[in-house]
Amino acid sequence: MKSKFVFFSIIILLLFSNKILADDKALAGADFEYGQHLSGECVTCHNSTGLGQGIPKITGMKTAVFIKKILAYKTKEKDNAVMQMVADRLGEEEINSLALYLSKTK
Amino acid sequence: MAKITRRTFVGVMAASTTALSMPSIAFGALPRVVVIGGGAGGATAAKYIAKDSKGAVDVTLVEASKRYYTCFFSNLYLGDFRNYGSIGHNYYGLAVNHGVNMVHEWASSVNSAEKKVYLGSGATVSYDKLVISPGIDLKFNSVNGYSPEAQSIMPHAWKSGTQVQLLKNQVKGMKKGGTFVMVPPPNPYRCPPGPYERISMIAHQFKKTNPTAKIVVLDPKNKFSKQGLFMEGWQKHYPGMIEWISADTHGGIKKINTSTMEFETDLDTFKADAASVIPAQQAGRIAMNAGVNKGDWCPIVPASMQSQADENIYVLGDASIAKSMPKSGFSANSQAKVAANHIRGSLTGSKVFAPRFANTCWSLVATNDGIKVGANYDAKPDKINKTSGFISKTGEDSNLRKATYEESIGWYSGITSDMFS
Repeated sequence: MKSKFVFFSIIILLLFSNKILADDKALAGADFEYGQHLSGECVTCHNSTGLGQGIPKITGMKTAVFIKKILAYKTKEKDNAVMQMVADRLGEEEINSLALYLSKTK
Repeated sequence: MAKITRRTFVGVMAASTTALSMPSIAFGALPRVVVIGGGAGGATAAKYIAKDSKGAVDVTLVEASKRYYTCFFSNLYLGDFRNYGSIGHNYYGLAVNHGVNMVHEWASSVNSAEKKVYLGSGATVSYDKLVISPGIDLKFNSVNGYSPEAQSIMPHAWKSGTQVQLLKNQVKGMKKGGTFVMVPPPNPYRCPPGPYERISMIAHQFKKTNPTAKIVVLDPKNKFSKQGLFMEGWQKHYPGMIEWISADTHGGIKKINTSTMEFETDLDTFKADAASVIPAQQAGRIAMNAGVNKGDWCPIVPASMQSQADENIYVLGDASIAKSMPKSGFSANSQAKVAANHIRGSLTGSKVFAPRFANTCWSLVATNDGIKVGANYDAKPDKINKTSGFISKTGEDSNLRKATYEESIGWYSGITSDMFS
């Protein structure tokens, strides 16, 4: 009985740690505090209530969605001169830190 | 930080109630920041220091007005795209959400040796770090014949509030087919595209209610921000209404007469039925008083926005020499975040990140015809350095211009929420 419990615990732990590893890999260099600091640049325009006409809310956005959007501005697939300029100077660590912070912020 | 027992906590509370007259040492362990000026630089700095330090820094914002009317978007009020109430904001959010101490008084002087700010009431407030973000003062005598008295006849409306209301009344009340004369300021000044957006919004008013009116612009400069875009827009939306005359063409404004409403230049004497004169500008007076200016403006250390004259004083926004950034609300907000991060780091040991600056200025030319210019900046030892930028193009399609206008509405909502809530 006891060995069965240990066995399942190890399996669950492995699954869980794999999940963590997968997320870590996806968000290399992500740092919550750095993301919070960088987000100061976003909130000059992006209202956290989402009530601003013309500019969408970005807090609470899933990390993958945020990263995809920023990369589309960076490669200029998506149009918008301001966002292309913002994305232009964001490196991987910065994008991932922002993604992490914004995903965990209301 | 000293351990706070119930007794010392009560002591700190008691001291806080008399904060204005007590030296900083009486407050125990909390480092103190005083911010002078509650605009885009000061309100943002006060908020971010208070918010991010989570009570570890005592922040006091000294701002005379209880309700702050933004200079940005005051042109949209002139054009009837915004009502006056919508550009006014209060400071309850900073006090309630972030614990900023609001002091609605004028800061009358700064004693930087003793690290004290003297208030209009005679009270003093002590600081460990001082942020000066006073905006601009007008150099009335830079235009011969203009004066503080003349501002009720030919409003500058370059500080928001009643001056803008006055200007709007004069525009709307101008006689049919009359001439409006506008004198923009010389460089450097607050909001480079602002005078030309104002011309656009006044033209928009005239087009609706006074279509035979004329606007004569006597510019002390030979070129201006977004010139090609504005000129294109004026021709498209207000053909024949606006005559922009460069400094080289009129040869300089020799004298204005507020009794006869005449503007004397080498080229001609222009008679106005209504007018707006925006004189040359300088850093707000308190910056001069604190001794952090060099001439009209205040040199700063680009990496932190610290004054070059005093490491315990930071100067933000229009009052600073933040070359190559323009003097704009967006710039001030961006600079405030760099300064707030640096101040918090020096007072609490929190992490100080590499400075990053940005600016975008939106302007409205006519209904749904928005244009924009923007840039990223980093800090070099001798200046804030432009690293990349963009500007709207002439001939853009109307959908893009409409989206740009809507984006500016979103930005206003964003930046005012960032400053005040």
